[in-house]
Amino acid sequence: MAITFTVNGAERTLDVDERMPLLWALRDVLSLTGTKYGCGMNRCGACTVHVDGEARRSCVTRVGQVAGKEVVTIEGLSPDGGHALQRAWIEHNVPQCGYCQAGQIMSAAALLQEKPQPTDDDIDSALRVNLCRCGTYQRVRLAIHSAADELRRGGVSSAAGGGER
Amino acid sequence: MSRQDTVRKVSRRAFLQVSGASAAGLVLGFRPTALVSPAMAATGAAPAFAPSVFVEIATDGAIRLYVHRSEMGQGARTAMAQLLAEELEVTLGQVEIVQADGDKKYGDQNTDGSRSVRQNFVPLRQAGAAAREMLVASAAARWGVGAGECRAQDGVVHHQASGRKLSYGEVAADAAKLEVPSEPKLKPESEWRLVGKPLGLVDVPDIVQGKAIYGTDVMLPGMLFATIERSPTVAGKVKSFDPAPALAVRGVKKVLQLEPIPAQLKTLGGVAVVADNTWAAFEGRDALEIEWDRGDASENSEQFRQQLETLVNGDGKVFRQEGDYAAAKGSAAKSLSATYHGPHLAHAPMEPLAAVALVQDGKCEVWAPIQDPQSARGRVAAVLGLPEEAVTMHVTLLGGGFGRKSKPDFILEAAQIAKSMEGTPIKLTWTREDEIRHGYYRGQNAQHVEATLDAGGKVTGWRHHTAFPTIASTFAPGVKDPQGFELGMGLHNLPYRIPSIQLESSGIASDLRIGWLRSVCNTFHAHAIQCFTDELAEAAGKDPVQFQLELLGEPRKLDFSGHDKPYGFDTGRLSKVIEAAAEMAEWGKPLPQGMGHGFAAHFSFLSYVAMAMKASVEEGQIRVHEVHCAIDCGAYVNPDTIEAQMEGAVVFGLSYALHGEITVDGGVVKQGNFHDYPLLRIDEMPVVHVKLFPANGNPPAGVGEPGVPPVSAALANALYKATGKRYRDLPLQKQISA
Repeated sequence: MAITFTVNGAERTLDVDERMPLLWALRDVLSLTGTKYGCGMNRCGACTVHVDGEARRSCVTRVGQVAGKEVVTIEGLSPDGGHALQRAWIEHNVPQCGYCQAGQIMSAAALLQEKPQPTDDDIDSALRVNLCRCGTYQRVRLAIHSAADELRRGGVSSAAGGGER
Repeated sequence: MSRQDTVRKVSRRAFLQVSGASAAGLVLGFRPTALVSPAMAATGAAPAFAPSVFVEIATDGAIRLYVHRSEMGQGARTAMAQLLAEELEVTLGQVEIVQADGDKKYGDQNTDGSRSVRQNFVPLRQAGAAAREMLVASAAARWGVGAGECRAQDGVVHHQASGRKLSYGEVAADAAKLEVPSEPKLKPESEWRLVGKPLGLVDVPDIVQGKAIYGTDVMLPGMLFATIERSPTVAGKVKSFDPAPALAVRGVKKVLQLEPIPAQLKTLGGVAVVADNTWAAFEGRDALEIEWDRGDASENSEQFRQQLETLVNGDGKVFRQEGDYAAAKGSAAKSLSATYHGPHLAHAPMEPLAAVALVQDGKCEVWAPIQDPQSARGRVAAVLGLPEEAVTMHVTLLGGGFGRKSKPDFILEAAQIAKSMEGTPIKLTWTREDEIRHGYYRGQNAQHVEATLDAGGKVTGWRHHTAFPTIASTFAPGVKDPQGFELGMGLHNLPYRIPSIQLESSGIASDLRIGWLRSVCNTFHAHAIQCFTDELAEAAGKDPVQFQLELLGEPRKLDFSGHDKPYGFDTGRLSKVIEAAAEMAEWGKPLPQGMGHGFAAHFSFLSYVAMAMKASVEEGQIRVHEVHCAIDCGAYVNPDTIEAQMEGAVVFGLSYALHGEITVDGGVVKQGNFHDYPLLRIDEMPVVHVKLFPANGNPPAGVGEPGVPPVSAALANALYKATGKRYRDLPLQKQISA
C-alpha cells in the first residue's frame, strides 16, 4: 500500500509493506544509505533518525508508523554539513571508522533540541543507546559540549538544520 | 588498468551519480566496469603521468593518490596520503584519494598486524619524492634553467629567480617521458608539513554528512538484496528445505542452497534468499524451514574450560627454557601460582559483514569492506573457477574490521549467489546475529603461571603454560598446536630478567572457526603476565610498578623471531613508558575509599604501552573512572590518530574485560546481538589521557593494536585494590555479579 511521509523536507510516497522497518525503506527504497543497520533490535542506535523532531531508531520503527510525519536523516540534518554538531565533529576529529557516527550525531541533535546545555550525564543518558565499537565516546562528549557552547554563543548554524523546517 | 576499474572516494568533485532511485539520491564514488555509461566514462581524465602505482596526474590536472591499505577507522587512508603528499608537495585538499583495488601490483595490501604505516613509511615518501623530482625537472627543462633553481609547492613548480610557475598538470606529459629516479632525495624531518602533524581523518567530512560509502552502502542499478540462513554448526550442511514459504513473501525473487566450502576458510553452507529489498529477504529467510545435518559438533563452553584447565595444570610443549625451573622451585623460599581464563570473543564491528558482487561475461566484480583484498580476489577466482584477472576487487570503507574483515567468507557467499544470477548485482547483508554466531573467534584460553621467590622477595623462576585453539586450524584442518606466531605474541618474548624461565603450550581443538581479533594472542598473554606480576609484587611486599621495573632490570635489546629488523625489543623503552604512565597517573597517591589503581604494560606490534587505571565497584557494577596511557611507537605520521587509537583501545579492551563472552553448546554459539554480547557504552566510558613519546630516532611501529593488551590486566589489578579479591576469569562484571 502507498505510504506518504516527508523525508528531509521532500514528500515521498512509497508502495511498500507498511510493516517494513523505516531503516530499510530509507536505505533500499530511497537510497539514503547514511542511516545504518547495526542490530535490528534497538540496541545500537546506528539507525537513529528524527521523526517529528524526536530521535527514533528506524530499525524498530515501521514505515506505517511514520505516515504523515516528518523524517529527517543524517543527509538532511543540514543543507551543507554545516550543523553545529557536524562542524564540532570535524573540529574534534571524532569518527574512527565512522559507521555509527550518523546515529551518534542524530541522537546528539535531538538532545540539543531538548537540552541546549547538556551535562555529561545528560549526554550519557541520551546517547547510551548509541554503540561505538571503535571507542569514540570521549570525543563524542567533547564535540557535543563544543557544539552546545557554539550555539549558546550564537553560532552561524542553528541546531535545527535545513531538514527540520 | 582501465580508469573505470577504480573505486574512488573523498573528493566530492569526483563523485558520480549512479543510483537513479531517488531525488535525494545516493552519491556514489564507484564506477562499476560493467555498468559504466558513456557520460560516466568521460568524467575521469586519463593519467598523463603515473611514475608509480601510488601517484597519478591526469591530463586535466587532477592529482590522484592511490591508497592501498584498507580503512577501518585506524587512519590508514589519511596517514598514507600524508606520506605521499608530503614529498609530492601537495596539500591533502588538492588531491583525490583513490582507494586501490585488490591487485598484486601494489605489493602487500593485507591490512592487519598494525603494519600500514610501518611498512610504507619510506616507500610512499619515495614514491611522492620521485614524482616531484620528475615534475620539477620537466618544468626546469621547459624554462631552460637548472632544477636546483626551482622548487615545488602545493602542486606548482616555481622558478624563484624569474617568478615563473607551472602547475603539475601542465608539466605532467613531459614528466612522463623521464626516467623514474631510483633514489629520490627525501626531505629532512625539519621540513615536514604533513608527516607528524595532527590532521583530521580525510573521510570525516563525508562521514558526518552520511556520504561515506561502506560495503553495505554500495548501490547499483538493478541490484537485488540477499541474506543467508547458515548452518548453526561449522561442520553442518543442509539436509532438506522447502523454499515455498520464502518464495511466498512479497519481494522475494529466489531461494538457493549454498554448499559449504571447507577449503576456503571453512566458508559455511546454507540457504540464500534473494529479494528486491533487504527486509523482504529477511522475512523470506524467517519463513524458511530447513532441516540441518549438524555434522560433528559437540563443543560445550564449560567442558572446554575444564579441558583447558587440565591441560595447563599438566605439562605442555616447552618452547622457551632458560635455567632450571624445577631446581628453582626446589630451593624457593616462596612460590605462587594462578590460573587465568578467557572466553571465546566475537569481533562485532558496527558494520556487519556485507558485500556486493556482479558476475557476468566470465567476469566477477566485487565491492566489499575487506582487509585483505588480494587474498579475497584469489579466493573468489578459485570458487568461481575464473582466472584471477577476471575478478575485480573494489575496497570500500570498512565499518570496523578488528580482524573479522580479513576473512572473505562473506564475499565468497555473495559471489556464489551472483553466479547463480548472472548479470544481476547482488548485495549480501549479514544480520548482527549472523555476525555474532558465525565468526572467526578469538579462542577460549587458559594460562597457568607460577613463580618462585627467594627470601629477599627476588623472583628466581617463572613457569607459564598457555593453552588455546590455534588460528591455523581455520587454514589447515587437523592442526591443533599453537603456532610460533601465536606464542610470539606476548609470551615467547617475556622480557623479565629471571634466572629460570620455562614456557609451555598446549593445543585444543574447537568446533568454531578461530581467527585473529585485534591484538590477537597478546590479549590473553598480556592479561596473565600482567595480573600475575601484580600478584607476585604483593607476595614480595613491593609496589607493583617498582616491582615490574626491577623485573625488567637494566635496558636490554631482546631479539626474538618476529621482531623484524630494524626492530628489536628494547626493554628500556618499556621501562620508560611504565615510568611515564605512573607519573601521569600520580601512582602511589592515595585514592578515595573504594577506588583501586591498577597498572599494566605490554610490548606488542613493536610498540610499548603502559596504562594505569582507576576503578571501583558501585552497587555491584564495575565503574572505570580514569585511564592514563603512555605509548612509544617510534616515529609516527598522525599523532591525533594515535591518541584516538589509544582511546579506542581502552574501549575495546574494556568491552571484553567487562562483558565479552561467547559461549557454545553442541557446537552452536548461544549469543546473537548486543543484549547478550554487550559492548562498552558511553555511560561506562572513563576519561582517557594519552602521552605519546617522541620518535627518539626509532622507526615507526604499530598503533592500531598495541593499546589493547594492557587494558584487561590494568582493570583486574585495579579491582583487586578496590575489593581485596583477585578475579582471574574474564569477563570481570560476571565475576563481580556472581
